[in-house]
Amino acid sequence: MAASSPPGRAGRAQQVAWVLAALVAILYPIPFEQSGYVYYETVGFLVLLNAMLGIGWNIIGGWAGQFDFGPNIFFATGAYTAALLSIHFGWNAWLALLGAVVVSVIICAAVTYPITRLRGHYFAIATVAMWMIAQPIGATWELINGSRGLFLPVATGGGFVHGMLTMEFAGRGKGLGFYYLALVLFALTVWGARAAERSKLGFYFRAVRDDQEGAEGIGIDSRLYKVIARCLMAAIFAAGGVLYCFWALAVFPDQVLEVNWNILPMMAAVVGGLGRLWGPVLGSIILIPISQLMTATLGAGPLAGRGIDLIIYGAVIMLIAGWRPNGLLSLPWERWAARLLGRAPAQPVKS
Amino acid sequence: MTLFLQAVADGLQMGLLYALVAVGLTIIWGLMEMINFAHGEFMMLGMFGAWGLSVSLGWDPLVSMVPLAVIMYGAGVLVYRLLMRRVQRGEIFTQIFATVGLFFFIQNGAVAVFTSDYRFVEKSWLTGLSGAHITLGDVRIGVPLLVGGLIALALFLILYLLIDRTDFGLALQATSEDRDAAMLVGIRPQRMYAVAWGLGTALVAIAGVILANFFAVYPQAGLSFTVLAYAIVALGGFGSILGTLMAALVVGVVQSVTAAYLPPAFKDAFVFGSYILIGLLRPQGLFGRF
Amino acid sequence: MPALLEVEACTKHFGGLVANRDVSLVIEPGEIVGLIGPNGAGKTTLFNCISGALHPDSGRIRLQGVDISRARPERVCRLGIARTWQVVRSFGRMTVLENVICGALRRTNRVGPAHARALELIAFTGLAGKEDTPAAGLTLADKKRLEITRALATSPRLLLLDEAMSGLTPIETAAAVELVRRIHRELGLAICVVEHVMEVVMPLSHRVVVLDHGEKLTEGPPAEVARDERVITAYLGDRYRARG
Repeated sequence: MAASSPPGRAGRAQQVAWVLAALVAILYPIPFEQSGYVYYETVGFLVLLNAMLGIGWNIIGGWAGQFDFGPNIFFATGAYTAALLSIHFGWNAWLALLGAVVVSVIICAAVTYPITRLRGHYFAIATVAMWMIAQPIGATWELINGSRGLFLPVATGGGFVHGMLTMEFAGRGKGLGFYYLALVLFALTVWGARAAERSKLGFYFRAVRDDQEGAEGIGIDSRLYKVIARCLMAAIFAAGGVLYCFWALAVFPDQVLEVNWNILPMMAAVVGGLGRLWGPVLGSIILIPISQLMTATLGAGPLAGRGIDLIIYGAVIMLIAGWRPNGLLSLPWERWAARLLGRAPAQPVKS
Repeated sequence: MTLFLQAVADGLQMGLLYALVAVGLTIIWGLMEMINFAHGEFMMLGMFGAWGLSVSLGWDPLVSMVPLAVIMYGAGVLVYRLLMRRVQRGEIFTQIFATVGLFFFIQNGAVAVFTSDYRFVEKSWLTGLSGAHITLGDVRIGVPLLVGGLIALALFLILYLLIDRTDFGLALQATSEDRDAAMLVGIRPQRMYAVAWGLGTALVAIAGVILANFFAVYPQAGLSFTVLAYAIVALGGFGSILGTLMAALVVGVVQSVTAAYLPPAFKDAFVFGSYILIGLLRPQGLFGRF
Repeated sequence: MPALLEVEACTKHFGGLVANRDVSLVIEPGEIVGLIGPNGAGKTTLFNCISGALHPDSGRIRLQGVDISRARPERVCRLGIARTWQVVRSFGRMTVLENVICGALRRTNRVGPAHARALELIAFTGLAGKEDTPAAGLTLADKKRLEITRALATSPRLLLLDEAMSGLTPIETAAAVELVRRIHRELGLAICVVEHVMEVVMPLSHRVVVLDHGEKLTEGPPAEVARDERVITAYLGDRYRARG
């Protein structure tokens, strides 16, 4: 991240790109709505959801450099908390979102602080261990109805604005409505992540990643910042879980704790470029349509479409780890783009 | 009290099998400080190999153990040569990532080929022994599991002797202590690492072959064994082979006793929880030195 | 004035090896103390105990009266001790400027002021022009300079330099010595320097402490210490090597 923004033409080009991207994002579902191909709105929804989760994972994985294999725990806590608040207390969806995020962050802080003493592989395995402990809890805890699942009352329609305020969309308006809900949450996530990246947090996370002892020597409490990074991730995953909860209208433990909710965001972050804010977005835009395509073409056949795309993801991960550890954003996009614009890049290409 | 003793006895037997599962990881870790997220997947492949050969050729798992060990040794060497060698000197994050990719690849490859259905090894020498048991006081010790455990123990001891008493084992240890010094005395580190991976993979696959006699065979079986193996390696003091054995016995007992008193879904949870606790309270493991 | 740093009978074992045995020393505000001794004398271990990377098995370490014997490294830094490392620990994937900003964030929570302070210090230590270079791409001499700059950004009262000159060419060494002098002159810090190279440490220090095999051999003004029989004996080999 450069200390100063690039001057002149490159800077203006960036701003134009931002505006264009925002326009595309806002207008994306319109053609599908008109033509009736509502399915693509759902694809857009999934892209935004996974991009958001990817940004969350990038905070602990790319910025703080700690490999987390269990972020879906917080996806689950978010979904369940929102479901419970909605079903038992009738809370509005956005209030439930707030509650879900708070609860998830508290749980995250409590379970993460103890394991911050673990480094590298051991931390990673501890996160797996937590995920594996969460599974029987999810399946047997009476409060959340165990494996019988929780069901939310089916939405009764009420127009677009009402839907945005209550996260209730039904029938034909569902694809469009949830796309925009996801867009709102995605935008909030990007805004929050950007703020964090440029703040003390962003610097301290990366210091802990690059050299933990060195960071401690200049006064950084590495354990605290690992917890903060993970809590930021937990907040984002919880929000994603809440969105999922109102979309699916049912929360089952094996569905919210499913491995896809950690592999896809992780893949998006890695493919798009670890450590870069927009990496997971790029990764998600590339991966989700491919994943959907695979499900569509192979889903009817004897091979479960799911399995195949995970095989490919596994292979892609290995390829990237072995040959391009920093992901796609380590390709000289900046140089190519600059050449396209006809001038030299404003800053040296980072390796 | 009988329930407790029975649980301890069962746990000790399972512990012997777990020791075999974990020791491959100990070797790889002890030598290269590299850990394999896909460790349990190789075990799962061993299980499927045993089942497959049993169903198609009628081979007893104890027989197919040998060719499977050889094949899986080759697989381990291949994984090292093609992938791990490239990430070995880089960041830890990338190393973890590489084996996570391997994990997804292998597990879902198995799903694609075999589907997620549970399979069982129906006819084998060990399952044929089922029903036979030895009685010690109030405690029943089933013969099949006991024999399986003893086979694991025998392999374990052979391995220990290999590492501790042969020139080859010394070369492995030398490479782990000081790679450059080892090179100076003519040891080729790359070769040692490849062998370590081969050995580690072969051992866990053999463990899988034995376990296939007692457990359901399905693609998702691997991950909890991977975590179990980590827990054992961590408890056992990282890189100590005998420590691994002792830790595995402890883990087997903890798991078994937990299962006796809590709902079965939680039996692994306790082990995993202990892993986290050990990491906090005694990072050098129960049997580590400093 | 009370002493800045008091180390009282610091003892540290590693298994059977006694790295530090009953080492005591005092550092006054504003002085430069050289810490010398042959290889394996326990200098870096002592530094690690002072900075909190390790904790002494027995003995006390006090910073302006505050007991830091069991403090974590980040607390020690907050209280005013900054250090550099024998093997350089820069934040490789961040730029020079970002590295120093991390240090400056010790004293302020906002990136703006930290950024400004970082630029000042980068100019002061002579890294101007390299602000946007990734730390991993620097020469060794510059990496060491960066480490010092980053440490200074935490506004320490005591700076521990662990073999800051090792691996440098004679020209780079001279430049580094000049930097240390300038830091002392203009910022008024106390500095403790661990060094092997006699020609560097003796002219720089007000006072020299000699360790050998984990124990303090002697201390005093450089000229006296250099003439001390015991020191010469401990160092006989190194002395000739430093000449060559």
